[in-house]
Amino acid sequence: MKTTRREIMMFAGGSAVGVLFTPAPWRLITDTALWSENWPGVPVPARGEIRAKYTNCSLCPAGCAVRARCVGDQPVALAGVSGHPLSHGALCPFGLAGHHLPYLPSRVKQGPVKEAAAAVAEGIAKCGPAEYVVTLDLRPARTASWTYRRAMAAVKNGRYVTPSVDSSVAVDLAKARTVLSFGVPVLDGWGTPGNVIAARPGFRLIQADPVESRTATMADQWLRIRPGSEDALAQGLASTVTHAAAAEASGLAESEIAALAARLEQNGPVLVLGSSRLESTGRTVVARRETPVPTEWHKAAPVSGLASLPDGSVRVLMVDESAPGEYLPWNAIQKKLVADNPVVVALAWSREGYARHAQYVLPVGVYPEVVGDIPPAVDSVAATFRLSVPLVPAPESCVKPEEFVAAAAGLSIADTLHERADAIYKTGRGALFTCADAKSAALKDVSAADFWKALNAGGCWIDAPDEKAPAARFSAAAAEARPVEESELPFVVVLNRELTPASPILSKVYQESNLRLAPNTVALHPSCGLEDGTQAVFETLLGKCPVRVTLDAGVPAGVVRVTASPAVLDLCAAGARAKVVRA
Amino acid sequence: MTIDVDRCNGCGACMVACSVENNVPPAHEGATDRKGLTWIRVYKVDNGEEYPNRRTAFVPVMCQHCGNETPCVHVCPQQAVDVDPATGVVGEMPQRCLGCRYCMAACPYHARYFNWWDPAWPAGMEKTLNPDVSTRMRGVVEKCNLCHGRWHAAKEQAAAAGKPDTEPVSYVPACVEACPTGAIHFGDLNDSSSAMAKEAAEPESFRLLEKLNTQPKIYYRSKKDWVRGIAAAPRPGSGKENGRG
Repeated sequence: MKTTRREIMMFAGGSAVGVLFTPAPWRLITDTALWSENWPGVPVPARGEIRAKYTNCSLCPAGCAVRARCVGDQPVALAGVSGHPLSHGALCPFGLAGHHLPYLPSRVKQGPVKEAAAAVAEGIAKCGPAEYVVTLDLRPARTASWTYRRAMAAVKNGRYVTPSVDSSVAVDLAKARTVLSFGVPVLDGWGTPGNVIAARPGFRLIQADPVESRTATMADQWLRIRPGSEDALAQGLASTVTHAAAAEASGLAESEIAALAARLEQNGPVLVLGSSRLESTGRTVVARRETPVPTEWHKAAPVSGLASLPDGSVRVLMVDESAPGEYLPWNAIQKKLVADNPVVVALAWSREGYARHAQYVLPVGVYPEVVGDIPPAVDSVAATFRLSVPLVPAPESCVKPEEFVAAAAGLSIADTLHERADAIYKTGRGALFTCADAKSAALKDVSAADFWKALNAGGCWIDAPDEKAPAARFSAAAAEARPVEESELPFVVVLNRELTPASPILSKVYQESNLRLAPNTVALHPSCGLEDGTQAVFETLLGKCPVRVTLDAGVPAGVVRVTASPAVLDLCAAGARAKVVRA
Repeated sequence: MTIDVDRCNGCGACMVACSVENNVPPAHEGATDRKGLTWIRVYKVDNGEEYPNRRTAFVPVMCQHCGNETPCVHVCPQQAVDVDPATGVVGEMPQRCLGCRYCMAACPYHARYFNWWDPAWPAGMEKTLNPDVSTRMRGVVEKCNLCHGRWHAAKEQAAAAGKPDTEPVSYVPACVEACPTGAIHFGDLNDSSSAMAKEAAEPESFRLLEKLNTQPKIYYRSKKDWVRGIAAAPRPGSGKENGRG
């Protein structure tokens, strides 16, 4: 029999159809999935011995205790420390991804250290009688802060400046029965989050907020006030203005304010946050004992605010941005600089802050690369001392800010953290909490060597309670000059606080879910006329920056909510006016 | 698992902890909330009213680990999804997945996510990957598996200690560990004496889309009636979310 071409084609076609009814092709498809899963380019996690290390997070003043799960020496996950007396095991989203920060593509890795040192030395030498050498410390009360104060005392016309001078005032949440917050994010990153959560059942929270913030959502009562009317409402409650006037300014009903005032009267002690126009009651705000320092350190420059410097008087400015803190707008600093060739050095790990304006940007280590102490948080009634212990080494090109400033001032410093720990140990007061076993021991029952060792293993010293701590109050914030109202700037600015820069994994709560308001994003009421996701320009009288728009019914019409990144804070403060236009 | 909606403050710690634990990569620049990878996602929901009657809550949603006629298991052509008979956990095997996304269409909770892009971490950040969880490439679907890696580690520890099996409470998923308010509890639903099982049985507990009878193993709790009404909605979210379908 002769096989024809037609028969071959029929056999091939039939086989092709027939094989589809066998498992063979489907198994091959499965196998391609297996082969493709092993293509190079898909990262393979490293393996090694699993260890736990302990440290304290220095990303914000809370200083939450951290347990790091490490593969060998590399942290792969961070978590809170259960049973910790201060943080109670809590860690925020930023702290959970803190071990990613050393790998941020945008971090500063190189800088002209020698040139900067020479420029600073020359500037100090040139400093005239009415001119100053200034160290701006964004997070005061650290041991490094004391080094800056000592260095500035050693330099002719040295000044030590911080954004806030209130570091010795603390709030006692445990004593408060009512907390009245004027826009303070009490339940969203303020204070020590774990401590706030632990104390939460004990107080009624009234949040006066122009927008539906996370705190307003979770509060017992949300008062939606007009932006910028916080002080007017506080004055109404303090009876320094009438309830009618307060209602007129805030947009609340007069009866609502009267009812609130009566409630505060009957449900004290009341802790007031965010306004100095109304006093807290019942010792809910107290003066906190300072964490001890060696006696010889007291020969130091006093703590000053920026306002204490005359305009045009700063010849040399060194800014320590290594520990994130309150950002002062650049225009407020710029006007303090001398007109002719001021020297500005930013010691920073990120290019987002003052590095955009400084002549010299010197790289510093980032958490968790560097060792440093974390001052007590605002809601810690007792003084504390805890170290952020390095988990990975910093790049060799990084400088230590306190060493740079001390060298500029000709001040010789050694192991300042150990010196301070010794000074604390000598007091014999307080207790030491060790993370590994979650136990506290009286300091007097621990040897000095064990104390230092425990601190370097993430432990925490907590001062003995000071029963005689006097009641205190927060300083009044300096009145900000508000730009003149412009009809072309239809929105009032409300600021949202996020830690920036952060790990790229925070995209989960930003662009991949819109759960939190990302940096470079503004939130507007759906009636604003723009679509969700529009690329736009955020503009104020001081300048503009690109943003993305997200729509949020919790933001009232006429208000724009924006994350307070340094770029935004250079353009506006809370209550300023802005416009948002399509890009 | 039980989730107390009244305690959730929408911080997103669970979302970050989950991504760190399970080697979920950061967003590609083209990713949006529709194309992102969020094994657990916290939705902001509201009652649709204006101030002063406006009420808002946060609802974390992950794979509900359906116990009855698990939809994704039925539709997967690759047998890449299975239900563990011992734990009831719905597991996903990315190595078998061919990316047809049939399971995503079948899931009534929108709790499955597709890798639209190859995973990429900034240079050096791949050192921070968890060795207990395999990485996935583009073209496969992934979802919450209640931290299988931790469960395996707990089983190994139990075996090393000579115990025949692990109790579920000997490990907790990353989201439970990370939640600062203690809103998420994890345990054995079959152990009626456990605190979590008791919570699940309380009248204020509810499950999402109960009318579908998928018997999810995630119980939500809230004292607020309007929150329970949201559970019957096709997908938790604000009007804005639903407006985009």
